[in-house]
Amino acid sequence: MVIENLLPPFPQWFLPALGIWIGVLALVALVGFFLGWLVVALERGPREALVRNWQAVVQALDDFVRRLSLKRAHGLAYLAVKESIRRRVIAVFVVFLVLLMFAGWHIDPASREPAVLYLNFVLSSTTYLMLLLALFIGSFSLPTDIRNRTIHTVVTKPVRASEIILGRLSGFAWVTTFILVGMGVVSYFFVIFGLNHRHALPAANLQPVAEAPGETGTLTGLTAPAFGHRHRVYVDADGRGRVEVARGHYHSIRMIGSGPEARYEIGPPEGFLLARVPVYGRLEFRDRDGLDTDKGLNVGDEWTYRGYIQGASPAALIWTFSGLTPQRFPTGLPLELTLGVFRTHKGNIEKPVLGSIAVRNPRTGLYVETEIFESKEFAEVPEIKRLFVPRTIINPPSVQIIQRKKNTVEGIVLSPPNEDVRMELTQKREFDLYEDLCDNGRVEVWIRCIEPGQYFGAAQPDLYIRARDASFIVNMFKACYGIWLVTLIVLAYGITASTFLSAPVAMVATIGVLVGGLFRDFVIKLALGQTYGGGPFESLYRLVTQENVMSELEPGLGTLLLKMADVIARGFLFAVASILPPLGQFGWSDWVAHGFDIPWEHVLIRTLQTLAFVGPVIVAGYFFLRAREIAE
Amino acid sequence: MTFRAAFFRKIAFLVVIAILLLPLFWLGQPSTSPARGARGGPGGILAQLRTRSGLSEAELGEIDPTSEAMRLTTLGLRGVAANILWTKADTYKMKKDWTNLSATLEQLVKLEPHFISVWRFQAWNLSYNVSAEFDDYRKRYEWVIRGIEFLKKGVRYNEREPKLLWDVGWFTAQKIGRADESKQFRRLFKQDDDFHGPRPLEERDNWLVGKEWFARGEELVEQGATLRGISPLLFFSDRPMCQMNYSEFLSKDGIFGERAKQSWSRALEEWLQYGDREFPTYEGGTIRLNDKERFDTRAQEIWEELEKLAPGLKAKIEQEKRARLRPEERRALDTPFEERTPEQQALAFEASRKVHVTHREVAQRITGPRRSEALKLAEEAEKALQMSSKIDQQRTIVNFEYWRMRARFEQTPQAIEAREYIYLGDEAFRAADLTRAKQYYDLGLQKWRELLDLPEFPQLKHDGNTGRELIDVIRNYQRILDARDEPWPRPFILQDIIDLHKDSVPDFEPPA
Repeated sequence: MVIENLLPPFPQWFLPALGIWIGVLALVALVGFFLGWLVVALERGPREALVRNWQAVVQALDDFVRRLSLKRAHGLAYLAVKESIRRRVIAVFVVFLVLLMFAGWHIDPASREPAVLYLNFVLSSTTYLMLLLALFIGSFSLPTDIRNRTIHTVVTKPVRASEIILGRLSGFAWVTTFILVGMGVVSYFFVIFGLNHRHALPAANLQPVAEAPGETGTLTGLTAPAFGHRHRVYVDADGRGRVEVARGHYHSIRMIGSGPEARYEIGPPEGFLLARVPVYGRLEFRDRDGLDTDKGLNVGDEWTYRGYIQGASPAALIWTFSGLTPQRFPTGLPLELTLGVFRTHKGNIEKPVLGSIAVRNPRTGLYVETEIFESKEFAEVPEIKRLFVPRTIINPPSVQIIQRKKNTVEGIVLSPPNEDVRMELTQKREFDLYEDLCDNGRVEVWIRCIEPGQYFGAAQPDLYIRARDASFIVNMFKACYGIWLVTLIVLAYGITASTFLSAPVAMVATIGVLVGGLFRDFVIKLALGQTYGGGPFESLYRLVTQENVMSELEPGLGTLLLKMADVIARGFLFAVASILPPLGQFGWSDWVAHGFDIPWEHVLIRTLQTLAFVGPVIVAGYFFLRAREIAE
Repeated sequence: MTFRAAFFRKIAFLVVIAILLLPLFWLGQPSTSPARGARGGPGGILAQLRTRSGLSEAELGEIDPTSEAMRLTTLGLRGVAANILWTKADTYKMKKDWTNLSATLEQLVKLEPHFISVWRFQAWNLSYNVSAEFDDYRKRYEWVIRGIEFLKKGVRYNEREPKLLWDVGWFTAQKIGRADESKQFRRLFKQDDDFHGPRPLEERDNWLVGKEWFARGEELVEQGATLRGISPLLFFSDRPMCQMNYSEFLSKDGIFGERAKQSWSRALEEWLQYGDREFPTYEGGTIRLNDKERFDTRAQEIWEELEKLAPGLKAKIEQEKRARLRPEERRALDTPFEERTPEQQALAFEASRKVHVTHREVAQRITGPRRSEALKLAEEAEKALQMSSKIDQQRTIVNFEYWRMRARFEQTPQAIEAREYIYLGDEAFRAADLTRAKQYYDLGLQKWRELLDLPEFPQLKHDGNTGRELIDVIRNYQRILDARDEPWPRPFILQDIIDLHKDSVPDFEPPA
């Protein structure tokens, strides 16, 4: 699976993220306070404005902390639920069911990875529908109540603005949760039934395999086609069968009867719905001169996700794993590898390019090659190249001490340094993974291409230790939870916008947040000048004059003005992007679709991010609502 | 505004709407088919135009409810949606996300099922670009077939589009037959039960299957479908060329004898049929590739008739022209072709152009009562030569003469045996059996010699394609001799071929 922005571990993420959050929050609060002061100051003078603003802040604290009644908030939430039911939000669920009914028209079960298509479809449909729902109920509810004056039945009671906002948010959150659970359950069964298929295996399809040692009496053949594919089947003399992986799954096989009367029954598909728990390492590259580098070679790909290393040279892909213990992996390291292969000459077309895998102790430099393997490029999910580094490595093909070389300002630095090199370590013929090759739970896994003129390429997530398989249902639940978090953010923005804007305008504002949030990464790139064609004004100029994005603009006053306008626009964009939620990063459908367990660490990070956005937005909504006459 | 004014305004709007509906009805009324005794109607202007141009949905090809539903749900933003999908497809391709690329292409063609370029471009993408991304040749083959299947689906949606049929033929024949992995692709193609269905094993050849699709395309054009974006000369050449390539590949697969002969015989027959087809020319009018010899013969006959009218006149004019040449030009012309220096070759070319006598020049010198007859003959000869020249130009485009000659000489026993011996020699060399390899090569070269000396093919040894092929054979023979540490035989049996073609293969070093 491609992961372009892998989240850092929680301890590394938390403190810097908290710092940024507090900084941005303080800045926004300061700006808000100043604007509030300005508005009041125009009416009542600067001094009183300051006093009133301060009182408002104290009052807010009081409303949110001391005088907040969960009972009243719950009552308002109940009203919000009733209101949603009255507005027939369940229609969203019906639309979802209709979508699923017609999904078969669009999803090709004969695809290379049908599970990916099915899961992506259900999760993205769920996301879009939930976002639409949140958008409508969030933006329309308060303005409709205000217009119909039904809000008076609430505000004339002793309730606080904070309770109104929180009540609505939690009420709508309950509604969306209920609908989301329904969609999740239906999606699960839709995927299960959608992927289910059987193959027939007529006995006539089986032929004896070419004689090979230990394979006497083995039959092989292809199943009948189903879902646009067939499987190769092997049945040994005892009637035990094996079905090869195709299109990302395999089947069980059972022989019924014996002798010439034998029939074969192929079971339902297996291996489609996985939740592998990967342990990722940190990737570094070693170039053909044996020097450490951050990046691999580019073999001409427009997309620079994977870096490449040259074959038959000291170049290597080096992953450093941490926290490995015999308790976690008692028998060895089960690795899974996705490799990019680039050939500069055809070589032997029928033979895959050969590579080697080795483990190295980062402290002693002891390097033990464990296997020579055949590369497999762009394999489907269950066909990913599996490699195993055993706990005990006996008579490995190659043992040596390799010193890593780093080019620094002081010159080449060796690790381990020459004085620490202990060549006697290489004299052994048997190595223990944890005793000889691990340094405090750290170990390096080296992948090298051993054929001259050929290249291997990889990105950090391309090699991982498959720690175990988690529950697919729990993984699906996590993906739905991710959707729920995004829904919550949109609801919070929608409700807050509706406290001071009319319904359609509130909806447009929330759509703005939604679109901005989904394309936040692009907006930040634009703000930082990392896109082609300049900032917004320069891009507009190029668009109108049909100027290409690569050529420099003619120097002159016009260009200068454009660039200056872009500097201002970029500052504005950066400020906006900083307070936009990164909604595009909340989707976990790829993880589920490609069979990877969503780490709990990610769930925690996204939950905190949601709270970090929702909290201040609710507080802002509270102030807006209080500022309206209706709430007085 | 009073109630009365508002009411009248509404009435006015209604009237205007009703009036505007009339031209809309006139333009857009759908046609109706006759049923239950009722007469069908031709419909409005648009419906009539659609019928006339064969553009109604049902006439274009299979109607897919999904496609129709998708087009409707885009609410007129089909173009925008297609653009977004196209960009997405490009991104998926860049990021090597093949599953989503395929899914996006499926959506794209459902939105634009009759936009031929989408089918052609994206099928090319799958068969040529995406397939090349895979290291495993079996995966490459899978994606080549995906591209072909994609096109076949396009054919179902666009039954009146010969270009798509031609593409299926081209991908099947050329991509499988000419790729670097053609040996493996052809093997997998033969084993591909899902692609072929009940097709017998001996017919599972990419060239034969490609030929079937080219034939379907030809049939469609003959039924009146418009051929766009490809010259008919090339379009119609591919079907017979598939038979040629099939025959050629038979020898590569080690199949010789009667089967090879029959295949070449069929290739010749189809090539001659192709030569009998009429093709439009850029200058207007039509030509047939087979007609060149007829026009040349007629021009020659007219020379004889003019000779009868004015005996010796042509030779006389030629002599006069020759007398006007510069001395160095004359010398160059008199020097035998093989002995001319490069400067003399240029001079001789110029001189032969100057001494060339046309029919008109002879006819104009004839006086008396037969002058008008001579001028008529000259005009006829000029036309014949003009046609011959036009045909010659078109023949060059498809290498017509080479393939005609090849289909003829490949049927001779000498050619069949020569190819068989060289094939066996190569096999023996691959198996490191150098003695047998040399024996077979000696026999093969002997047969080539006999073939080159046949009086029916005087041009064969001068032909560049044959020359290059033979230089490759000679080079392999060189390797066998080197491996056996044997000297180069003197005189060498194909020395004339080395002398004629040694420069046509860049890295060939003639034996010292």
